[in-house]
Amino acid sequence: MKFSYNWIREMVDGLAVEARDLERLITIRTAESEGVEEYGAKGACRARVLAVEPIPESHNVKAIVETEQYGTKTVVCGAPNCRAGIETIYVPLGKKKIAGVESDGMLASAEEAGINRDHSAIVEMAVEQVFTPTDSIIEIDNKSLTHRPDLWGHYGMAREVAAITGGTLTDPVDVSLLPAGDAVIRVASDDPELCPRFSALVFENITVAPSPLWLQFRLSAIGLNPINNIVDMTNYIMSELAQPMHAYDRALLNGDTLTARPARDGERVTALNHEEYALTPANLVIADARGPVGIAGVIGGLDSAISERTTSIVLEAANFNAASVRKTSSALKIRTDASMRFEKAQDPENTTRALARAIALMREVCPGARLAGGVADWKREMPAPPKVRLKLDWLARKLGRPVPAEEVRAILVRLGFGVSDDFEVTVPSWRATKDVSVADDLVEEVGRMIGYDSIEPKPPAVLSTVPPDFPERTYYRRARGMLASQGFTEVHNYSFLSEEQAAQMGFDPAALVHVLNPIAANQSVMRPSLIPGIYANLVENRKHLDSFRLFEIGREIHRRDQGLPEEVPHLAAALYGEESGLLELKRVAEALAAEVRVRPAEARGFEHPRRTAEVLAGGAVVGRLFELHPSFIEGRAAILDLDLRLLQPHERRASKYVPLRRYPSSGFDLTVLAPTRELVGELQDKMAALAGPLLERIEYVGQYQKSDSKSVTFRFTVGAADRTLSSDEVGAVRLGIIEGMRRLGYELTV
Amino acid sequence: MIEGSLAELQANALARIEAARNPEELEAVRVEVLGRKGSLAAVSKDMGKIPAEERARIGKLLNSAKQTLETALAARQEEFAGQALGARLESEWLDLTLPAPGIRPGSLHPVTQIQEEIEDLFRSLGFTVLDGREVEDEYHNFDALNIPADHPARDMQDTFWLDGGNLLRTHTSPVQVRGMETLPLPLRMIAPGRVFRNESVDASHEHTFYQLEGMMIDRDISVANLIYFMKTLLTAVFRREVTVRLRPGFFPFVEPGFELDIQCLICGGPGCPVCKQSGWVELLPCGLINPRVLRMSGIDPDKWNGFAFGLGLTRLVMMRYAIDDIRHLMGGDLRFLRQF
Ligand SMILES: [Zn+2]
Repeated sequence: MKFSYNWIREMVDGLAVEARDLERLITIRTAESEGVEEYGAKGACRARVLAVEPIPESHNVKAIVETEQYGTKTVVCGAPNCRAGIETIYVPLGKKKIAGVESDGMLASAEEAGINRDHSAIVEMAVEQVFTPTDSIIEIDNKSLTHRPDLWGHYGMAREVAAITGGTLTDPVDVSLLPAGDAVIRVASDDPELCPRFSALVFENITVAPSPLWLQFRLSAIGLNPINNIVDMTNYIMSELAQPMHAYDRALLNGDTLTARPARDGERVTALNHEEYALTPANLVIADARGPVGIAGVIGGLDSAISERTTSIVLEAANFNAASVRKTSSALKIRTDASMRFEKAQDPENTTRALARAIALMREVCPGARLAGGVADWKREMPAPPKVRLKLDWLARKLGRPVPAEEVRAILVRLGFGVSDDFEVTVPSWRATKDVSVADDLVEEVGRMIGYDSIEPKPPAVLSTVPPDFPERTYYRRARGMLASQGFTEVHNYSFLSEEQAAQMGFDPAALVHVLNPIAANQSVMRPSLIPGIYANLVENRKHLDSFRLFEIGREIHRRDQGLPEEVPHLAAALYGEESGLLELKRVAEALAAEVRVRPAEARGFEHPRRTAEVLAGGAVVGRLFELHPSFIEGRAAILDLDLRLLQPHERRASKYVPLRRYPSSGFDLTVLAPTRELVGELQDKMAALAGPLLERIEYVGQYQKSDSKSVTFRFTVGAADRTLSSDEVGAVRLGIIEGMRRLGYELTV
Repeated sequence: MIEGSLAELQANALARIEAARNPEELEAVRVEVLGRKGSLAAVSKDMGKIPAEERARIGKLLNSAKQTLETALAARQEEFAGQALGARLESEWLDLTLPAPGIRPGSLHPVTQIQEEIEDLFRSLGFTVLDGREVEDEYHNFDALNIPADHPARDMQDTFWLDGGNLLRTHTSPVQVRGMETLPLPLRMIAPGRVFRNESVDASHEHTFYQLEGMMIDRDISVANLIYFMKTLLTAVFRREVTVRLRPGFFPFVEPGFELDIQCLICGGPGCPVCKQSGWVELLPCGLINPRVLRMSGIDPDKWNGFAFGLGLTRLVMMRYAIDDIRHLMGGDLRFLRQF
C-alpha cells in the first residue's frame, strides 16, 4: 500500500518530520515500510507563464515564467497551449539551446508531471486548484497491514503518525453534511452476517468529466489510474478512509432497490473488467430488480457502469463480511482494491462517513451535482464497542518494565481508544472488527509506542531443568557424523518426485500421496523412497566426478487410507566408482547397528539381479543393499537404504561389561571347499554352530577361487573362562568341525 | 723402560682408534689392543718381571692406559653409531607433500551444521529439541495457531495441498502445537525442520527450506525476557555482539508480535547495499504467545505465558557463507556441498 506524504500531512497538523524520517518511525512503531520514493518530475514546482514570444522559423515559443521555487526563468516550449497567464508546472533541467534560444528548464506535460497519460500539451492548472506537483510516497508492506483494516486508508495512517509524532489529527470527514430526510432509493441486506451495513446516496445532475489535476496527481502518485471524476472520487475516498465505494449509473439500474443477497444458481454478471462470471450462492451480489449488478465487495457490473452519458448516480458505501469476500475473490480469481480491503474486516461505522466525504468532494470534482434525497442506510444492530480491562501491573509484567499510568493513557487516547479512570479501555470501531479484543492486544499498542528499545533485556527467572531427550534425534545425528567421517557427503533432496521418477523405481503412482497444486508437473507426488532422489544425485555428480560418496537422511511419505500419511525416516547412502562399493556400504550398516546381517534378495527392476541383498537387524529386515542395474547408470553405483525407525532400536550400545579372559585362548585355521556361489556367511554360520560353546570367535581369512569351486579359510579362536584348554580339547573342537562339515558334504583341506 | 713402551702403546693405539674408518676397523683395533691376547694384556703379563716396589705404580699406569683407551674406543663407537643412525635417517627421507591415502571425510550439509549448532545452544539453555511431521493437517498448521480458514494470514503462506485434505507444513509451528499438547509445563522447546511454501524457485526463493522455531512457556515471561534470549542466541550464532531492535510485526500466533532486526553486520549501522541503506537487517519474527493459542492447546493463559520465535536456518546459512543462489542448497551438487 502506497501512502502519500502530502496527503498524510494534510491530516496531521504540525507534522515536522520529513518523509524519510517518518518512514523509519512508521517502521518501528506501526508497520514495515519498504522505502520512500519521490514522485513527480524531479524538482518540479508550480509556475506561471508571464509572457510568450515567438521564435522565428520555429514552432516553439520563448516563455518567461515565474516559478515558485527558482525565480523567473526563460524556457523554450513547443506546446500548443503555452500562453501568458496560465498556471503550469516548471521542471529544472539545466540550460540548453533549443531553436537557437537558451532554455533553462522546461514546462511539463501532464504525463511528464506524473498526473495522467496526456502528453499533448503542457499542464494547465485551474487557478483555484493549484497544487504542489511533487510528493514522497511511502510504501508499506501489505503483509504488515493484514490485521489493520484502518491502515488501508490514509486517514488511519495519519492517526498513527499523529500518535507517533504528537501532532494533531484532523478528520477530513464532516458528517454534518449528510442530508436528512427520506432516501429516493432503497437498500437492503438479505444476510446481515455477510452484509452488516449497506448505505447509499443519490446524486443528480452529474457531468462525467476528467477529475481536477490535483486529484489525478494524487491517485497516480499512489498507483491508481485516473478514469473520470466519479470513479476517481470513489477511489480517492477508498484510499483516504479505507472504505471501498461503488457508483452506479442510476438510469441503468432496474427499479429503486438495491439488495445485497447470495447469488442464485446460474446467475451471471459481466463485471467492469469485461469478464463474465458464473455465480453460485456462495457469492454475495448486489442486485436490482432484474438481477446482479455487481459482486459484493469485489467488483461492479458493466451494465450499470458510469459513462459519459451518466447524469445520475447511486453511490454505494457498504460493509461486507471479510471471509465471504475473500472466498468469492479467490474462487472467481478477481483481486481488487476493494476486495483487498474488505478481506481485512472493515469498520461498518465507516460507510456513512464515506458518503459524507463524497458530498464534500463532489463539490470539487463535479460542481453541478445535486443531492437527491437523504441517506439510504440499512444496518443490522451494531454491537456495543468492546471494552477491555487493562491492569497496569500486568502490563508491566508483560513488557518487562513499568509504564506510568498517564503515559499509558495518553498513548491509548491518541490511538483513538477510550480510557476510563480505572483503565477500562473502549476499543474504537475501526480497531474492533478483528484487531483488538483482549488486554494482550493493548500490550502491543503501548509497547510499540513507548518503543521496544526502551525495554532492558532481562534473563527470565525460571528453574534450571534438564530437557527431555529423544533418542532418535541423537541417533540420526550420530549416523550423520559417522557417515561424514567415512567420506559420505550429505545432500538434501526435495520431498517431491515426478510420477515418472516414482514409476521408474517400481512405485505405482496411483498409490502415492499427490500434491494438488504442484509447483511443476515433475514435482507432483510425495517421495515414497529416497532412492529416486539419490539416483538423480548419482547421475548429476557422475558428470563431474569419477568416484564419490553421498547420503541423505529424510522422510519417506506413504499413503494411508485415512488421516495423515505415514512418514518414515530413512537413510540412503550411495557409493559411486569403478569398483563396487557394496561391502563398504555393508560396513556402514554394521557401524550403525549391532548384529547387522545381509541376505541375498530378489532384485527389483532397477537393482543388479546378482548384487542385491536385504539388510537385517535383530532378525528383521531393516533395509536393502544393492548395486544399481547397469542399464540405469554407467559405472558402479552401490546404494544402502535403511529404515531408521526400525534400525534405531538396534543401535550399538554395551549393556553390561564382560570380564576379560584370564586364560589364554588357542587358535587354528580351517579351509573348506565349497561351490563357487556358496555364501561365505552361511559357511561361517555352519562352522560356528559345529564349533560348540568353546568357540570365542570365528573370522573369515580369505578365499581362493578355483575353476568350479572355491576354498574358503576361517580362523577359529577357542578358549574357556575358567581354564586354559588342553591341546586335546582344542583338537576335539577342531575335529568336531571337520567331521560335522564332512557330514554336511563339504571337503576340508586339513 | 716399561713405562716408555706403555706410553708409546697408548699413543699408538689412540692414533689408530682415531684413524679407524668404520666400526670393523675399530673393532680390529680393540681386539689388537684391549683383547685377551692384545698388546695391553701382553704388558700385564710382564708385570711379574717388574720389581715389587714399582709394581703398584706401573699397575696404576696400566689401568689408566686401559681406561683411556676404552673411553676413546667407546666415544669412537658412539660416533660410528651416530653416523649410522644419521645415514639411516637421511636415507629415510619421505615426501610429506604426497597426498594422504584413504578416504577423505565427507561433510554435513551446511543447513545440518548450523541446525546442530543452534540445537546445542538451546539444549544448553534447557530447551528440548522436537521433531515433527512434514505432512500436517489444517488444524495443526493453521487453526491451532490462531489462523482460521478465512484469516488473511493464510494468504501470506502459499500452501502445498495434498490429497486427503492434508498439507505440507508451511512452518514448524505445528510441532510446537503438538509440543504444547503433550509436554509438561513449564516448557522450553525448539522445532527445527524442513518446511514448504508454494512459490517458484529462483536464486532467492525456494519452495523447500529449513526453519527453527522455538518457544518458552513459564509463569511470568516478558518482552524483556524475549529480547534477552534473542540477543543471547544471535550473539552465539554470529559469534559476536549483536545489536537488535524489535518493531511491530503481525503473526496471528503471537500478541504482541515483532519483527526482530539486527544491526547490519556489514556496515554496522550507517547503511550499505546489504541492509538496503537502512542499517538494519530483518532476521526473525517473534512475540509473546497469543493467549488464544495457549487456550487452544489446553494451557491456561492466566497462569502461563511465554514467547515464541522463528529463525530461518536456510537464510542464516546463506548469510554466514555469503551464498548468492539458494538453489545450491537443495541441488545435491557435491562440488558445492563438499565446501562445508
Ligand atoms: Zn549495512
